[in-house]
Amino acid sequence: MDLVPLAILALAALSLGLSAVAIRRDRPLCWRFAVPDPLPETGNGRFCTVLDHRPETGQAHAPAIVPREDGVSVLWFQGSAEAQPDVDIWGVDLRRQGDTWQASEPEPHLTRKGLGRALAPHQLVVTLGNTMSHDGTPGHLLATVVSVGGWAMAAIADVTMSRDGPVTASKLDLSPILNRSFLVKSPMLAYEDGSYALPAYFEMGPTFGALVRFDDAGRVRDRRWMRSRRAKVIQPMIVPLDAQRALAFLRDFDRSDALWLSRTEDGGQDWSAPEPTGHYNPSAPVAALSLGDGRLLMAANADPAAPDALILSVSDDEGTSWREIHRLTGPGALRYPMLRRVGGEIVLVHSTGGKHGVAAHVFDAAWVAAR
Amino acid sequence: MRATLDHIALAIVLGWMGFALAGLVAGPALASIAGGMVSALVLVLQRSTPVAGAMALLSPLGVMLPALALRDVSAAWGLPVLPFGTVEISVFLAAYAAFLASAMGLLPVDLYRLGYAPRPVAAMVLIVCAYGLVAGSLFLPLVAVTGQVLWVAGLGSSNWFDHVLHAMLMPVAVVVLLMQVF
Repeated sequence: MDLVPLAILALAALSLGLSAVAIRRDRPLCWRFAVPDPLPETGNGRFCTVLDHRPETGQAHAPAIVPREDGVSVLWFQGSAEAQPDVDIWGVDLRRQGDTWQASEPEPHLTRKGLGRALAPHQLVVTLGNTMSHDGTPGHLLATVVSVGGWAMAAIADVTMSRDGPVTASKLDLSPILNRSFLVKSPMLAYEDGSYALPAYFEMGPTFGALVRFDDAGRVRDRRWMRSRRAKVIQPMIVPLDAQRALAFLRDFDRSDALWLSRTEDGGQDWSAPEPTGHYNPSAPVAALSLGDGRLLMAANADPAAPDALILSVSDDEGTSWREIHRLTGPGALRYPMLRRVGGEIVLVHSTGGKHGVAAHVFDAAWVAAR
Repeated sequence: MRATLDHIALAIVLGWMGFALAGLVAGPALASIAGGMVSALVLVLQRSTPVAGAMALLSPLGVMLPALALRDVSAAWGLPVLPFGTVEISVFLAAYAAFLASAMGLLPVDLYRLGYAPRPVAAMVLIVCAYGLVAGSLFLPLVAVTGQVLWVAGLGSSNWFDHVLHAMLMPVAVVVLLMQVF
């Protein structure tokens, strides 16, 4: 008898066994958001600027907030210019000392050379971009990494950090196109079972927002997308309203001058086709977070008469209407905000001077309530 | 382990390129020596810029590309290899183009995400085995199941498609198809 059919049948039998193992081991994903408790309106009601970093030369852009046990780190990319082969991730540590916050000296935190050594398999890292905290795995970062080409050829690397820099790193498996063109910008989302999801986006010609889920081993287990035929939506900023519902605010990579919005009602499994909100947006990412009880806080370039100003707004009706509570201006364009709750306070970071600096501010719910 | 497997796969693929180029002017024996030397250099010089650059460009390599490379070398040495037919390659190209388009958001379904989930992967591997049985070809079932072994073992990508497909298959398939047609 021909051995080929027998060999194929043996392979099929092996496959059945492997599938049984894989199915038995697979844990269904939880699709219920962990909604944070309402932020208590306590505190001293102050708004403090705790970092205003402007490098003498080159650019510093896209700051992110990384929670730590004793405060937060602020990380950003810095070099001669965005996407250049001298860009590394810089950072400062912010620590509360009594009534004030102290910032350490800015220094390189994650370098291209260090990350290239840590990546498995070893590979070139030409430049670095937006870098986030991996909330599901303390001590890890999620970095936008370019090994070949520009941002459209970027990938997201999961980086294990030590005090001395990256220890190990591997790229998330997100695309069959040489694993390219996924980037990060916004903080992760928590689910009720303690897992986290990563808002990401694809921008190789076509664009879409994505929600990336991980398995227990921290490997990509699923991805869901937010797509529009009417706009080139990227950089989803997702805010859960309750266990099932969430809003994803999206930047239009083209200049529709509008902020776009997608909704989910099943914990992020399906997202509605993004629609323009009617709010002005100069093709810039926004930051938002839940204050609890349907109240939302947003930082966005929302004024068409002053597109470089960063405006803090509050919604009391789950994002239906917004009222401005504070306006930050200059130097230059204030862009790429990120908001995070840190204990009973809120940290806001953003770029200043059109990518030429980064700033960080701390305020509390009492300050928000008073405005 | 993932790094080791990727480096072995890269060594095979780049070694095959050396074999193919040398094969333009030399017989299989000399071409194999040239290919072997390229493979050895890739493995020894893992941290050099050219190898790190090639890895950055091609990773994750998966099973299919190195398997095709080894298959081609085997054929050059006269081992019996069942060639892919013109219809087979044409159907693959059409299906793979649709798959890549869906992964880029150009189609309403995201086929790539099926590769993360055990049940769809189980079905797809069995379909490939059934196709191999009908076509009398061991190659595709072997690649599909090897990819599943690595996928279940957590070696390499968490998406089965990354083990059994590679974007470089598109130009490779186009070239082979053109050579068959013309």
